[in-house]
Amino acid sequence: MSFPFSAVVGMEDAKRALECAVTNPRIHTVLIRGGTGTAKTVLARSCSDICSKHLVNCPLNVTDEQLFGGLDIEKTLKTGRPEMQPGLLSRAHNNILYIDDVNLMDRAMLSGILDCVLNGTVRVERGPISASYPCDTVLIATMNPEDSDLSEHMLDRFDLCAYIPPMEEKERRLVLTRNEEYLTDPKSFLEKFSSEQEAVAKRIDRAAKILPLVTISDELSAVISELCVKVGAEGLRGDLAMLNCAETLAALNGRDEVFKKDIEEAAVLCLPHRRSYDQPPPEQPPEEPPEQQEEEEPPQDEPPEQPPEQQDDRDPPEENNEDDADQDLPDPPELPDLEEMMFEIGREFRVIDYLDKNERLPARTKTRKGRRAMARSADGTGRYARYRTPDGKTHDIAFDATIRAAAPYQRVRESENVSIVIEPQDIREKVRERRSGCTLLFLVDASGSLGVRKRMSTVKGAILSMLRDSYVKRDRIGLMAFRRDSADMILPPTKSVEYSYKRLEELPTGGKTPLGEALVRVDEYMTSYARCHVGERCFVILVTDGRANVPLRQGADANDEVQKMAEDISIPHVGWIVVDAGMGFPHFDNAQKLAQKLGAKYFKLEDLDADRFAEGVKSAIES
Amino acid sequence: MANVNAVFPFTEIVGQDNMKRALMLNVVDPGIGGVLIKGEKGTAKSTTVRSMNMILPHRKVVKGCPFRCEFGREDRYCPYCREKLDKGIALEPESVRMRVIDLPLSATEDRVSGTLDLEHVLKTGEKKFEPGVLASANGNILYVDEVNLLDDHLVDLLLDSAAMGVNYVEREGVSFSHPSRFVLVGTMNPEEGDLRPQLLDRFGLSLDIKGEKDVKKRAEVVKKRVAYDMDPEAYIERCRKDLDDMTQKLERARELLPKVAASDAIVDAVVSVTIHFGIDGHRADITMLKAAKANAALEGRTEVTKDDIRATAELVLAHRLKRRPFEDAGLDREELEGCLQSL
Repeated sequence: MSFPFSAVVGMEDAKRALECAVTNPRIHTVLIRGGTGTAKTVLARSCSDICSKHLVNCPLNVTDEQLFGGLDIEKTLKTGRPEMQPGLLSRAHNNILYIDDVNLMDRAMLSGILDCVLNGTVRVERGPISASYPCDTVLIATMNPEDSDLSEHMLDRFDLCAYIPPMEEKERRLVLTRNEEYLTDPKSFLEKFSSEQEAVAKRIDRAAKILPLVTISDELSAVISELCVKVGAEGLRGDLAMLNCAETLAALNGRDEVFKKDIEEAAVLCLPHRRSYDQPPPEQPPEEPPEQQEEEEPPQDEPPEQPPEQQDDRDPPEENNEDDADQDLPDPPELPDLEEMMFEIGREFRVIDYLDKNERLPARTKTRKGRRAMARSADGTGRYARYRTPDGKTHDIAFDATIRAAAPYQRVRESENVSIVIEPQDIREKVRERRSGCTLLFLVDASGSLGVRKRMSTVKGAILSMLRDSYVKRDRIGLMAFRRDSADMILPPTKSVEYSYKRLEELPTGGKTPLGEALVRVDEYMTSYARCHVGERCFVILVTDGRANVPLRQGADANDEVQKMAEDISIPHVGWIVVDAGMGFPHFDNAQKLAQKLGAKYFKLEDLDADRFAEGVKSAIES
Repeated sequence: MANVNAVFPFTEIVGQDNMKRALMLNVVDPGIGGVLIKGEKGTAKSTTVRSMNMILPHRKVVKGCPFRCEFGREDRYCPYCREKLDKGIALEPESVRMRVIDLPLSATEDRVSGTLDLEHVLKTGEKKFEPGVLASANGNILYVDEVNLLDDHLVDLLLDSAAMGVNYVEREGVSFSHPSRFVLVGTMNPEEGDLRPQLLDRFGLSLDIKGEKDVKKRAEVVKKRVAYDMDPEAYIERCRKDLDDMTQKLERARELLPKVAASDAIVDAVVSVTIHFGIDGHRADITMLKAAKANAALEGRTEVTKDDIRATAELVLAHRLKRRPFEDAGLDREELEGCLQSL
């Protein structure tokens, strides 16, 4: 007794998408996206009663074997021959397959499911089994993009995708009263809606009959292609989905001809998730900058001695001025030891994908936008994803797979009081996976040179933006700052971003730049950290202008020393990122050189801003 | 260590009224969706949750059912009960006490969801489902200490079951589903990290608790604890009457709940409050109405009033307020009062 489809308030797009999907067998996949508690799941689960099909639930922790099919233990034991047990997907044949929170599903598995659903067949190739079975089904998936999002490639494989909009007050009241009624007396509630349910079911029945007769004019088909090109949808999946969807919508409205209106409605369901972001949509002129500037330079009284100058003249990021030409530049002017001060956190922005881009990672780890990666887990925790034949001894036996491996031989093996004889070669072990995050240690230069022109404010803004990015990705974050003559661990790596925010806000600025000391500390700390966090990917993000002035050894040149150290430092399993906080003219390349020696990725502070970065690239292309 | 099951009595816990109320509301109406308790170490979070074992009400279940299906709710029966029903075998009721089931952080996935009964396969060559923690949790309270440290894949599992009230097992050669409706109670120390937003919203209620600052009250806590540790069983015996009264109060409230009605004005008030605080989705609306009703039942009334909303709004809204990840949570009581007054 699930909540009836027709009693679900609002969500017209999602309902339309579901009606299309159960009407037209050529529509295979539907995705419903919406915030938490918007009744996505309720709606999806209710669609089985408008089309007399079963809903087959696919839980997130399904195993490969169970999903696609494998050896049937019971039968094999009886016959002594490998017998196939079809998987969950065979139960979905001629029914509806449902996945909740699809964005949390293992990528490889989801990809496999989509393949089978789109092709209509499942091929099983495992162990002694080689077979295939049909799987004509429609996949309905729901997700909440807040946690993590599917990759564009995955999204494209969903024929239709509906978004759930926020609701009006009146509708919300209706939702609440209907829910109350349903909970107190489900039976009479269902009765109350039975005629509406029937009407929907009839409409779908009739539409399925009209569907083969539906035609579309050449002009309107051309419109479809045009729209797809316009939004930058790659491939032809969008065109096909839109055509199918428009035809179905016509049929649902009792017509045998596609109208313009159908195209419009189909576009809403087929295009938004295929829009390409490489070419930013033209309807968003960059109207924010004026306001941002204001936030960046908050009117403040503490007088940094330079007149506050316009500081965000942004160059296109590619050409980094004269790289080698600055040999003759004068030494950095001795900086006045500014009084210690506290800068408030400057403007925040959306950060570019500074970790994942160009990172040499296996392809599969790049797909989740939310969590950074999926890692094999060796310690017996994590999700049992598949099995394998172990190398030598194993402690984590995959019992089901082991029994399956043994099953075909039972007729010929001697049994003593047990019904299955297992021999060493049958043993299979579990391959477990767990999501692994990253540890990001921010090593922040809080010396006086960054106090100039409230640069620290901008730096804090940038760090906070990166923190926020990590908050979404649930990384562990640590904060170490160096100034005066020491480097201090302000916050050991933690998942609590709230704490890091407070510490960041209270971080004082001023004094000299003991960069050498900082490198020593971080080397010590991260070496042992990486050792006890096996499997965790670690990065040190060094935010500095790279101009050291406190040498480790008396009398040495601080800068030479730092550059030399950078060359020698190598912390196992730890990557480096250098964010150049230097600014203005002359621009010193200390940080850049440092990055080279560290083998770090190098960004200028300004380039981290995704929106500006995109703008920079755009203007570079245009000019 | 005479009695491993002995826990400090619920009725003897000093202060922490908010936490107690949140837990009791969930006992009255398990549909509220559990409670998340945030607080520093040593604020009696775990003690309070575990101590509920002694006050929890009795409920009617199907006798002999491994999942303790709620008797009479045929639409929610497990496959075994349904099979019996289809065969015309009469099911008998049995009264059992609701319990607190612990989910340890180190639990493995197969133990949580249930898995292939290995012994059975080896002995008979036939497959059988071996129930896990989610099976024992059905109809009970599922308690996760340090819930923010729970592995992501276990969180996914809980989310699935919490959403549908059913545990679907499709693994290791087993395809099985059984009812798993539980009150999810989580405690956490916020210093150790945040909770995933998706899981956060699934908790019906949430609250922050602080350590007791009042010197007198602190002394009282210590005194009670010392007395308890000297002889737990005798101590519990002395509180027996209070405990039984509490159980009866909860049982009465549970009986009363179906009769509690909310007028249109209350429905309006609920929606106005959630909209005023900018909360999307329906979970907050639905939870607030349920909590208000449970609160009325707990106080022996059949009519929901604005006072019930007052008493429960913060519990429902605190973790749902739109805030940026770094801002302090908390409901502005004055703002709530203003909103309620203006109706």
